Amino acid sequence: MARSGKFWKTESTFAYLLLLPALIFLIVFMFYPIVYVFFMSFFKVNKLAELVSFSGLDNYRYMFSKPEFWQIIVRSCMWTALAVAAKTVIGLIIALLLNVDFRGRKIVRTLTIIPWASSVPISAMIWQWTYNNDFGLLNYTLQSLGIMSNPPIWLAYPRSAFFACLWVDIWCGIPFMALVFLAGLQAIPQELYEAAEVDGAGSLAKFRSVTLPLLSGVLTIATLLSILWTFNDFNVIYILTTGGPGTSTDILITYIYKYAFQYLRFGPAAAMAVITFIILLTVSIIYARNYFRRGEIL
Amino acid sequence: MKRKILVVSIILMLVLGLSISALAQKKVSVLWMEYDGLTPDYALNLEKAFEEAYPEIDLNIISTPWDEGHDRLITFIAGGQPPDLAVIGTRWLLELLDMDVVEPIENWLSEDLINNIDPALMEGKIGGVLYGLPVAAGTRLLYYRSDLVDKAPETYEEMLEMALKINNPDQKFYAVGMSGQKYVELTEHAYYLFGNSGYYFEMLPDGTYGKCTVNDEAGIGTMTFMNDLVNKHKVTQPGVTAYRRDELQDLFIAGNLGFFMSGGFTATLLQQRGVTFKWDVAPIPHFEGKPQSSLIVTDSIVLFKDSKVKEEASKFLDFFYSDAWRLEFDKMIGFPPVTKSLADDPYFQNPVYQVMIEQIPGSKGWPLIPEWPECNDIIWDNIVATFLGQKTPEQAMNDAAQEIDNIRGM
Repeated sequence: MARSGKFWKTESTFAYLLLLPALIFLIVFMFYPIVYVFFMSFFKVNKLAELVSFSGLDNYRYMFSKPEFWQIIVRSCMWTALAVAAKTVIGLIIALLLNVDFRGRKIVRTLTIIPWASSVPISAMIWQWTYNNDFGLLNYTLQSLGIMSNPPIWLAYPRSAFFACLWVDIWCGIPFMALVFLAGLQAIPQELYEAAEVDGAGSLAKFRSVTLPLLSGVLTIATLLSILWTFNDFNVIYILTTGGPGTSTDILITYIYKYAFQYLRFGPAAAMAVITFIILLTVSIIYARNYFRRGEIL
Repeated sequence: MKRKILVVSIILMLVLGLSISALAQKKVSVLWMEYDGLTPDYALNLEKAFEEAYPEIDLNIISTPWDEGHDRLITFIAGGQPPDLAVIGTRWLLELLDMDVVEPIENWLSEDLINNIDPALMEGKIGGVLYGLPVAAGTRLLYYRSDLVDKAPETYEEMLEMALKINNPDQKFYAVGMSGQKYVELTEHAYYLFGNSGYYFEMLPDGTYGKCTVNDEAGIGTMTFMNDLVNKHKVTQPGVTAYRRDELQDLFIAGNLGFFMSGGFTATLLQQRGVTFKWDVAPIPHFEGKPQSSLIVTDSIVLFKDSKVKEEASKFLDFFYSDAWRLEFDKMIGFPPVTKSLADDPYFQNPVYQVMIEQIPGSKGWPLIPEWPECNDIIWDNIVATFLGQKTPEQAMNDAAQEIDNIRGM
């Protein structure tokens, strides 16, 4: 030890020192922007995003007075709930299938990761072409195979556009869920299944009594992450529909973008960002409490 | 050993030399918009040629699709990193002036360059000061299938009559192209509105913009006509709300549309792609009893106040506005030349450019108000609501006008 003194002697102090760069990074790139957005939401803000004068709750009042804003909050929650539910169910089914030993399993596992490995904007652009009414692959296939003689124009109407966007988000998110669940499944000791078989448990009983309880930790973390990402999924909607027709596929994150970077109204945009933050923080706290409580029980 | 030391020393000197020359270079960044018809090669070649002519300047052309240009520029500015120069829609200029970020470009232009620009195109001159140097300016045109109709319709009523005859949705051929998905500006609506003697705002005697007028007789009449084309006569492509302006262009080029309104760039694309059907251009139609009026769109180049290389940026403008580079640029983007020296060039003496030039006197531009991007979206959303049958044309235009006036505090 070339250096001497108490500071370098304790292991924890040294650990803090190692953490310092990451801490500085977090303060500059995470905490400062978050705090600044909080301030912006209570201020009149100019077009350069600079605080001009304190305006109290004016930005919040303005957003709350817009009926469209409430519709967008409901739509954002529905979008997240449906997408996460679908990704979880499909991801779990794929993980269960990939956990079974069969020939070519490695190839299938590699193929599963492709949507996750490709960039979301590129995937969204490919889907945009796929949905195209005149030259798109989807309608061409549906017509050629005789499945639909007159397929819908997917992005033209509010409901079909919403579900078309939802599907792309699900498609992009399934591989992550499947791989995380697969890792969780592989960590479950085989002996537990053998013991359950000795007790006469069938496949469904084994899934209910062994797989699900032991996978619950992974399920909680994966769905929480998926909720956070899906709620803030800007790329898919913006590329496919830019929030349209009208504002019928806008969710909070695309709406915030429009207010901030198209209309340069940073005050209301910041108020919406704070609301988003509160919603996601609440969900995260509930999840974390459930997760740790379950940990204590186990 | 000595040989190794020699080789390492030479490499070090080369690296050092390159670093010093890189540091000595002044960097000029240009936010560049990707016009339809303008190939990526053009920007690359321009950059290369400029750097060869001025080795002390490192030019960085940042290419951006038009529909993302505004947001990208705002992101640069809000992040405190504006480019030195940017191509903008002139309608964004008031917003930028409001932010106090643009420099009077006239202070940095050579006399030769200023004198070579047609003064009529200087929409970027605000309060007598030139902030935006015109980069492209042109009126819009009606493209039509001359193999299917004998002559171009002069009025929208005539166009409807012809459309009913040629519309053939079973063969995926639609008479009129109509876009309903947001794409930069609500151009389609402007074509119909201006042809009905309408405008977006009342013009006050002092030249400023008063209340929103999309719900006056002309505005509601226009919306009713557009909605009838879509929902009553069904002569447009189905699912208009899924189509952006550029997708309509693809549809016309693919031979699936009879009438389609667009800029000169579509003519360039039609030529570039060598379509096999016959097409022609005509002035934008108008409603019966109303004067003809097209939309005129101008784009400008602005210089930012924060730029530390204004002189170098000015050199780039001189280079870019030289005849050889401008001619190629104008040909590709399909706009008439903004420089006087190219006005008589044989290339621009064809019907596409002639029609564009003839329409200039009666044409109207976009409103120059800082809140325009939001007003634009509000009108779009209400047009879409009409197409989807959620609102009547009158309701939609009343709602749009009311919301716009609220935003502008009127």
